[in-house]
Amino acid sequence: MLSPRSLRNLKRELSRSALAKTGIALVVLVVGVAALAPLVAPHDPTAQNLDDAQLPPLGFSETENSTTTEVVDGEVQIVNETTTINATAEHPLGTDSLGRDMLSRVVYGARTSLLVGVLGTFIAGGIGVTVGLVAGYYRGRVDDALMRSADVMLAFPSLVLAIALVGLWGRAAYRIPDPFVLLGITPDMPASFVLPGTVVVVVGLVNWVWFARVARGEALSIREQEYVKAARAVGASDARIIARHVLPNALTPILVLGTIQIAAIVLLESALSFLGFSGTTLSWGFDIAQGRDYLASAWWISTIPGVAIVLAVIGINLVGDWLRDALDPDIEGEGGGV
Amino acid sequence: MSLARFLLKRGLQGVFVVWGVVTVVFLLRFITPGDPISVIAPLDASPATRQAIAAELGLNRPLYVQYLDYLVGLLQGDMGYSYISNTSASARVFARLPATLELAVAATLVAVVLSIPLGVLSATNRNEPVDYGATTFSLVGISTPNFWLGIMLVLLFAVEFGVFKTSGRGITSARALSALATGNLDVFVSWLTYITLPAITLGTYFTALITRLTRSGMLDELGSAYVRATRAKGLPETLVRYRHALRNTLIPVVTVLGLQLGTLIGGAVITEAVFAWPGLGTLVINSITGRDWVVLQGSLIVIGVGFVLINLVVDALYAYLDPRVVSD
Amino acid sequence: MADDEPTTSRRTFLKFAGGTTAAAAVAGCAGGDQGGAQETTTGAETTTGAETTTAGNETTGSEETTSGGEASREALLQQANQLLHDQAPWVFLNRQYSVYGVSSNVEWTGRRDERIDGYAIQPQGDSSEVTITQSQMDSGLDPHDHRETPTDNIVLQAYEGVLARDAEGKVINQLATDYQRVEDGVVEFTLQDGVTFHEGGDLTAEDVAFSINRIVQEDVGGLASPQSDQLAGVTGAEAPDDSTVRVMSDGINPTVFAVFATYCDVMKRSWVEENDGAYINTHMNGTGPFRLANYQEGVEVVYERNEEYWGDPAPAQGLTIKSASESSTRVNQLLSGETDIAVNVPPQDVNRVRNADNASLTAVPSTRVLFNAMRYDVEPFSSQQFRQAMNLAIDLDSIIENVLQGFAAPTGQPTLEGFVGYNPDVNPYPQDVERAQQLVEESGHAGVSITLQTPVGRYLKDVEIAQAVANQINQLSNVNCELEQREFQALVGEITTGNIEDKPPFYLIGWGNATFDASQTIIPLVTTGGALTTFENEQVDQLMERAQSMGGEPNGN
Repeated sequence: MLSPRSLRNLKRELSRSALAKTGIALVVLVVGVAALAPLVAPHDPTAQNLDDAQLPPLGFSETENSTTTEVVDGEVQIVNETTTINATAEHPLGTDSLGRDMLSRVVYGARTSLLVGVLGTFIAGGIGVTVGLVAGYYRGRVDDALMRSADVMLAFPSLVLAIALVGLWGRAAYRIPDPFVLLGITPDMPASFVLPGTVVVVVGLVNWVWFARVARGEALSIREQEYVKAARAVGASDARIIARHVLPNALTPILVLGTIQIAAIVLLESALSFLGFSGTTLSWGFDIAQGRDYLASAWWISTIPGVAIVLAVIGINLVGDWLRDALDPDIEGEGGGV
Repeated sequence: MSLARFLLKRGLQGVFVVWGVVTVVFLLRFITPGDPISVIAPLDASPATRQAIAAELGLNRPLYVQYLDYLVGLLQGDMGYSYISNTSASARVFARLPATLELAVAATLVAVVLSIPLGVLSATNRNEPVDYGATTFSLVGISTPNFWLGIMLVLLFAVEFGVFKTSGRGITSARALSALATGNLDVFVSWLTYITLPAITLGTYFTALITRLTRSGMLDELGSAYVRATRAKGLPETLVRYRHALRNTLIPVVTVLGLQLGTLIGGAVITEAVFAWPGLGTLVINSITGRDWVVLQGSLIVIGVGFVLINLVVDALYAYLDPRVVSD
Repeated sequence: MADDEPTTSRRTFLKFAGGTTAAAAVAGCAGGDQGGAQETTTGAETTTGAETTTAGNETTGSEETTSGGEASREALLQQANQLLHDQAPWVFLNRQYSVYGVSSNVEWTGRRDERIDGYAIQPQGDSSEVTITQSQMDSGLDPHDHRETPTDNIVLQAYEGVLARDAEGKVINQLATDYQRVEDGVVEFTLQDGVTFHEGGDLTAEDVAFSINRIVQEDVGGLASPQSDQLAGVTGAEAPDDSTVRVMSDGINPTVFAVFATYCDVMKRSWVEENDGAYINTHMNGTGPFRLANYQEGVEVVYERNEEYWGDPAPAQGLTIKSASESSTRVNQLLSGETDIAVNVPPQDVNRVRNADNASLTAVPSTRVLFNAMRYDVEPFSSQQFRQAMNLAIDLDSIIENVLQGFAAPTGQPTLEGFVGYNPDVNPYPQDVERAQQLVEESGHAGVSITLQTPVGRYLKDVEIAQAVANQINQLSNVNCELEQREFQALVGEITTGNIEDKPPFYLIGWGNATFDASQTIIPLVTTGGALTTFENEQVDQLMERAQSMGGEPNGN
């Protein structure tokens, strides 16, 4: 699917761009952490320890005033206790309000983000590329009808449409058994991983338009190519021509767009989880929302997952830049952010 | 094709899109599990209320009659009556619209004012510290979820330093501007303390995006044969840069802005959620959590129509920057 | 009720419930303080009206038990609480505290019933404008068309009832100067002279009677009020003369004054009849100390002092109520001087407020209890042993200390301390994992998987409490417990249909009961036929029947 020339370009671009290297390193890190989450995470990310709640990250030990209460004459009296809360190496990034290990939650959160990002992009790409290729190949009324409906989709901001759809359909989630636990390698980790099914479908449904636009543009030019005309002349069916000739030649820009879209969908997923429109509680956006109430007392609960999102998205965007610079498709400005 | 005809054509396409938006929104009611009344009626509605709702909406009539009814209502500005909040949906939606527009305009202003100079500066000082700074900023900016950025800004500027307000809108921009005009600085400054953080939160993604586009556009233009030719003619470098190169650079910038409007509105929704900004975004979220589908439908329609209208403005701007599109 | 079609079955249910009201009222006749003031906090959880139509319920239907009491009513209620502790229909959790942040610009102390009476706020210093930030705005301004505390706090600045309660919960006069029982089932209120509505016109007995009828009768006032069951037993009202209101009840209705001390905001008849629902929901025309100055739906409500108020004018000249759903936002607003009263300060921010030089804290035990209901009609919760095991599995003290930072009290029975019927000999369940596992084993449900459903953000730390509970149950070697987060409205929709089958098997919910009487918690929640019941037990039913047929105070207190 990539020509030798493209591969050469990719290599050349990679060797001279430090940013591309950084991007690949970040992506490898995030993908590795997500795939090997049970091995990497020091604790079960859902295991609570109320006695160790709100421990600060290493290097941020702090003195805190905690309170107890007693009721005197129907009034609640507050008793102060000053305690020093020490960060421990056991929880290098601290713990959340229920004493769950932040590092482990960040590690598992990578799974949710990446899986939703990749699966959502496949759904969006599947719909969008099909629509775009058909529209560009047939042109005329088919094109008009399909692209006008794409315009309609574009008029709904993807986040708004996504929360409306999740709100209407509910927050279905599926449990996927964790192979590491199944094989007994990490028996202490959660036995299954929760995939927010509705969210995966919805982020795909609201993002297909970008793929349609790019695929259509490619199909419009490819259909005029000699080899397409030749195939048509020997009586190949339209479906066959689209699948065998148009699609393969349109793949490069779709690949680049797909990379950028993963970043956009990771951001979209985090926004949905943040607003409570997700099916899982093991997600960076969800933890940011949880930590909002503790900004003044435990800043790290919101801060750390946010840093994780930024690093992951920067990595994906840098890889996208690398692909774009090397392969030079014309897709400036396609794809959304949050 | 004249400019007027071009805009008319775009306008007609816009009408089509609006019709599509309305149709999709009408159909939303039917994609939810359960009967349509349960979507519209309050959970605690008495059977009498349910019957009244069913009768009023004519839910037993054929779908196309209901649909036409809905269209006719919309043409009269009637988005239906919300039995959850006991108000007309139009009243609720239009009460919230100005706040969102205000936020979006403020964010766009922040973005345009910061990003274009930054992008130009970055391109004309390629591989110098200012370029590295601008490139890093734009990379981080497009990769940061704006709700998290908002929370971090609150943590820094509101909780730690107490400079800005953490939520709410204070007074309207109209009142703030008239206060400024009459020299009532206190009122204006107080307004600024409300809008600054939300505007930065919403504007950062766009600042980053436009900086990036301006930079790469300028680099292309400055290296292009056309600019080299004007330079060779002996035109002053500033004129070359700003009159010719920048103008050409702005064309793709405007295109992208038009395409990314949805992102701006989506971003406004979540920014409003972070700052309790009383706009359409909080209305959308509240109407979903409160199951107020009539208001949700109204909000979606207003957002869709707004998108189409602003895109027309973008088209006009586009035609002004690049007259070639008109004859396209 | 065996109708499959949802709308119809609901209607059938309502008819059924309506039919039982009479019996309920009869049986409830001597029931002290019960029936009435299940008050706004109740409404906050249940939100909906129809379900609590049966608050009185058919449990208590038989009149012959009226004679059946050697034991005092309180003793019977205590017995019921002991029994319910043993039966463990719930996982008993905590009593909530109401914690308010108050700026140094005002003086005000929290009330137990979660109401914020703007009239009681004393501005200090130069400004006499007061701002309150609560968690939500109103759901419309019609005082008869809601059941939520936030809406109550907004409409009750402008509307008043015939009776009211002071901060301690005692019944006092408001628009009435006198109230008395005329005969069984008939009471009369004598109204003050010289009370005027904000938009003009004197208060007449006709207005009060109309307001009562608007709530209890579906066809009066253009509204089927969700509050009809709050005026339990009341069937209608009339105005024999200009200053007398006569209220008719089904049966003796001994709690009628307690009911009117908490419910029934008085509206002007002509104003209601001349305006449509949308107008009534965006305007206010009451007799209260504040009048509406500006209403921005969902954003804020601004009041100005009612200078023609029948009592002393309010200390505050202006009042603004706004909302922020994030607790940290409310605290930030308080500390930055944007608001004067921040409702529900979360435990983790208590010290920020206390350490601030411009704010202080006021906290009172509320009348709200949190619990996990377990449906007695489905496995594994049909087993008493299993239900007890769930209680023994959790470490309530640790949850209160660590999740709520001490701002809550543990419970071990449905009734809160200080209420009529509270049993001081019943202690909260201690954590005993061994015993819990053993009980699960004995119940025959070892290895079972259960799911706890919790609303999100409705109660202080609801999700975190539920997460802790689910986690601790999950620690049992023979039970697997998961958590499902629900939209509050959707969860409540299932809980309040009136059919036990519609409810989730295991869910977290809160119940507020400002009547300070055990009956208004036990009857609706854990007796046969109770509007929101998840539990039925003959002994409990009998105890409650007997308790409710015994005499209450003549003045409803």
